[in-house]
This record gives sequence, C-alpha cells and structure tokens, in this order.
Amino acid sequence: MNKLIASLKKETLLLFSDKIGLSMLFLMPVLLVFIITIIQDSAYKMVNENKVSLLVSNQDSGELGNKLILLMNKSGLFNLEQVNASTPTALKETLLAKNKLTALFIPQQFSLQLTQKAAQISQTMTYELGLREIKPIALTLSETNLTFYHDPILQENYSYSITNVIASFLNGIENELLINTIYTEVGIENSPETIKQQILSNKIGINQIAATNSAKMAQPNSTQHNVPAWTIFAMFFMVVSLGSNIVKERLNGSFLRLKTMPTNYLHILSAKMIIYMLVAFLQFALIFSIGMVVFPFINLPQLVLPSSIVAVIFTIFCCSLAAVSYALMIGALAKTQEQSNGFGAISIIIFAALGGIWVPTFVMPNYLQLISNFSPMHWCLEGFYILFLKDGSWTALFPVFGFLLLFSALCQTTTYIKLKIEKII
Amino acid sequence: MNADLSHIELNAISKQYKKTLTQSLSNVSFQINVGEKIGILGPNGAGKTTLISILCGLIEPTTGSVHYKKKDNQTISGVDLKKIIGFVPQEYAFYHELTPLQNLAYFGALYNLTQQEIKTRSNQLLSFLEISEVANKKINTFSGGMKRKVNLAIGLIHQPKILFLDEPTVGVDVQTKLAIITFLNEINTQGTTIIYSSHHLAEAEDFCNQLVMIDKGNIVANGPTLELIKNHDVKDLQALFIQLTENK
Repeated sequence: MNKLIASLKKETLLLFSDKIGLSMLFLMPVLLVFIITIIQDSAYKMVNENKVSLLVSNQDSGELGNKLILLMNKSGLFNLEQVNASTPTALKETLLAKNKLTALFIPQQFSLQLTQKAAQISQTMTYELGLREIKPIALTLSETNLTFYHDPILQENYSYSITNVIASFLNGIENELLINTIYTEVGIENSPETIKQQILSNKIGINQIAATNSAKMAQPNSTQHNVPAWTIFAMFFMVVSLGSNIVKERLNGSFLRLKTMPTNYLHILSAKMIIYMLVAFLQFALIFSIGMVVFPFINLPQLVLPSSIVAVIFTIFCCSLAAVSYALMIGALAKTQEQSNGFGAISIIIFAALGGIWVPTFVMPNYLQLISNFSPMHWCLEGFYILFLKDGSWTALFPVFGFLLLFSALCQTTTYIKLKIEKII
Repeated sequence: MNADLSHIELNAISKQYKKTLTQSLSNVSFQINVGEKIGILGPNGAGKTTLISILCGLIEPTTGSVHYKKKDNQTISGVDLKKIIGFVPQEYAFYHELTPLQNLAYFGALYNLTQQEIKTRSNQLLSFLEISEVANKKINTFSGGMKRKVNLAIGLIHQPKILFLDEPTVGVDVQTKLAIITFLNEINTQGTTIIYSSHHLAEAEDFCNQLVMIDKGNIVANGPTLELIKNHDVKDLQALFIQLTENK
C-alpha cells in the first residue's frame, strides 16, 4: 500500500509539473467546447431562427407577384428587400454588388401565366363534369419560371429549404386562383370564403417526435453534442501527456532501475492508470459543469443530464479506461517521445474524425460508417448519445460498454507484451 | 540475513544478444567477496554494462549462472536479493521534473522504508554528497555533476549491502569525480561492497582493490589491483591493459 501511495504521489507531482500537458488536458477542451458550440449554435440559429434575407425584384405586371411578396412577408420567415432589376441577370449583379446571399426574380408574365393556367384547368374540369358544353381549346402555355439566386457558399439543403417555402406559397396562390376561376366558370361571382379557408388551411400536418426510451429527454442541440464530444476528445488527448511520460521513464532507465527494486511493476502502472482516470473524471466534471452552469449565461443551450447518474458514471469510467489504456499502449510502443506525441496526437484526430466528434457518423459514406465502429471515440460518443439524447437504459448501453472494455483489454495486453519483450516487466 | 552474505559467484557467464553475431560476454567466471571494491574495467563496448546488468538481475545470461552466496552456502535470490542491492545506472534514471527529496521519497518508499527512515537517510545522503542546498529544487535545472550525485543517492537510499555502479563518474568535472570517489570509499569502509564499471583506468587504479579487466567480452585480467600491476611489471593499469590486449 505504501508503494502504491508513493507511486500515486509521484504521478501527481509529475502531472502537475507538466504545465503544457495540463493545459492540453483542461484548457484545450474548455476552449474547444466554447468555440465549437458557439459556432454550431450560431449556424443552427441562422437556419432555424433568423429570417432569411432575400432580395426581390417584382417585374410582374399583374397582382399575383405582389401577393406572393405579401405572403412571404406575413410568414415572418423572410427579411425582404425589394429592388428594381429588370432582368434576372441584373438581379444577379445586384445580389453580387450588395453581397447578399439570396435573391428572387418575379417575371413580368407571372400573374398572366398563373391566371391562364387556372382558367385552362377550370374549363377542362367543368367540361369533364358536364357543366360546360364547349370543349376548351388546349392552349400551350409558355413557361415563365421564378428565378432564385443564391450565393455558392450557401449550403445546398439551405437553398433547397428556401425554394420549398416559396413553392409552398406559390401553391397556395395557385389553389386560391383555381377555386375562384372554377366558381366563376360555373357562374358564381365570388367563391365562398369558408371553402377557400378549408382548402387552404386544413392541411395535414406532420408531428415531429424524437424516438426515446423516456419521456424526459434533452432536445438535440449543439450543447448536447459538443459537451460530451469534446470532453471525450480531450480525454483521449491524454496520450500526449501519459504516453510521453511512459516513454521518458523507459528511455531514461527509471524502469530498469525499478526492476532492480523489490517492487511489482503493477504498482507503477496502476498508479498511472488511477491518476489519469481521475484526470478524465475531472475533465468531465469541469466541462459538464460549464455546459450546465456557464452556457445559459452566454445564450447557449444548457446541458441537461440524464436521469441515471450511475449510468453516466459508468460510461465515464469505460471511456476513461479506454483512453488511459490507449495512452499506455502508445507509451509502450513508441521508441521516442516525438513518436509518442506525434503518432498519439494524429491517431486521436483520426479516431475523432471517424468517431463522429466533428461530423455525425450518419452523414458518412457506408464504408466509413463501418470503419467508425473501430474508433473508441465513436463508442464513447454513442454512449453519451444514448444517455443524453435518448435517456438510454442499461440494456442499450451494454454494447457500448462491451466494446470499450474489449478495446481497453486489447491495449493493456499489447502494453504488457511489449514491456515483457523489452524485459521491463 | 543480509549480514550473512559471503560472496558472489559468476560461473561461465556468456551473453549473446539477439540479432548479433558475436558474444557480448564469453565464458566469464570470477568471484566477488563481501567488502571489496571491485572494478570492472575495459574500453567502450567491452561488455561492462552487460556484466553489471547480469549481476543485478536486469538481464539473463545466455549460458552460465550468478549466485549470491551466504556464509552457510545458501543462495539469496528474488525479493531478498533486491532488498540488499543498489543499482546506479549510467543514465540519469530518475524524475527530472521532481526534486532530489521527492525522488528519494519515491524510491525509498519502493523499498518499504518508513517516512522517518526516508527523511533521515535522504538528509544524510544529500549532506554527504554536498547537495543539501538544492534538495527542494527541480532536478531539470541541475548540472551534470549534481545529477550524478542524485543518481548515486537514489541507489543508496536503502543502505544496500552491494552497490552496482555503471560508469558513475562519466561526464563530470574533476571536483565532482573526487567527491563521488571519496563518498564511495566512505560507504565501503562502512561495509558496502562496491562493484564499479568504468573505462577510466587511472580512476579505477586509485579506487578499486580488486579488478576484472575485460576486452571484447573476455576476461583479460582478474585479481588485486596492486598485485596485477606488480606481477605484470608495468607502471599502471593503462600500461597493463595495453600489454594484455595488444596481441589480440
């Protein structure tokens, strides 16, 4: 026990003497979690909460162009700026000159086209229903589309969302116009307002509900992803500190000296593991506290902990064990500190990329999704997704624990074999 | 039990490392008696470090054996042996980010010494080695000579009966070298057997009362220092070594 306590004390002193290592373990993740969460939250707000700035050039000689603009204004989704660009090309130039992101051109024939189309459909309908004797002449209507410009930097799905909203307003206008025209066709001057309202308003909605095991569930947002994701990243980054610590001891002869002493090498490795697992728990405590306490003060979503704290603690335990075991293995395999730091850091970045720390794994191609299963960070993050976003049960967490414990066992075995080959243990 | 140690026997030790064609040690046999100051001498690459490593159990010989014999002819091994040997490697094998006292406290605890024993012994050692004033300073600011002294102090924290030193004065100034040798003489008079490897023949001639000279893994001379010089009719160890190796 005396030996273990001495080893724990030594490891603590070594850790506190490594100021750069400490800053990488604690300062780096705090900065990362702040920066990335703020950036992602801004992007989320831009897409979901901010109005879309849109330049509009309405060249329509009729009223429907104005009606479309009115509907867009009333929706509250757009921040419209009307300009007088006579052609789509002129509007594009204005867009570029004003450094705006989106623009809509309504052509001169817009109302005329819609009216003609509605008239033709209504005449065909009344003829088919026997309300009209003379068969309508099928006119070939010229295609006069709206033109939507967007800055190339705008994501395709964002532009697609805007055009979908505009198309939905267009449908509304077309439907109303069609009803009016049908009524006129059958000799009723004004179509009843109630019918129009029923047709236009009683749309079938889609309820959007996230699948979860519990009624208590945190909403998926930048905080619920970034806080655990960057904590996991920082935890695995201990490979730089712990890995080089082991390489140093191997190379400077300390391990050999220990071999001449009446001590078990297990004490030394156990002490390292205990101290660095405590570091991992402290990283979680620090960054999670920031997510829960500090984030709301800077208008970021608050981190919401799941109901099972025991499951959270066990998940942290498995993640930290995997991170520490990986660092031990790198420390045992590397021939120099440079190798340990370089390979360790790069491998962590690759694990992070594959594990979905930066980009969710579901957007990756299938083969990368398959490969991501070999990243311990993927399983760590999966554990927190189950806990935070699905309030997961132990049963759902078992595969996560299974992989992380297996990964830890493999790393520890490799470490043991390498140190045995080097005759250090 | 420690006081019962009588001698160390090396029987036909050979060592060949993997992926090498030649033997680092070839059929080496000699005996070390308790209380001796024995120098294992030879040029760089002669096999000195390999021999020291085999003696303190760091590596196994390819063939042959080492026995630590008690007066009743029983053998000491395992943890009992580790408790009575001290090892000072050629490298600075300690934690440079810690202070000398922190290092001594850690290594002392690994020998199961009490806090009080560690404190008393650390103060004695640092005082003898004249580095008490830097006892609480981080070692990474120390000179090479001071680091050598810390390396030595760690090997002695548990008052070993046998002390192995691998090139303990390499890379240090004359004053530090003298201080280390004086200190080693002091602990030898207190009963510690010293097994010392070096390629500094003049230093060994002054310090050691027994010598084992090796060259290319073979023993070329073995016996009391003065007797060897006298029997070969040479003025010093350097001349003796040249005489013994020039025909090879």
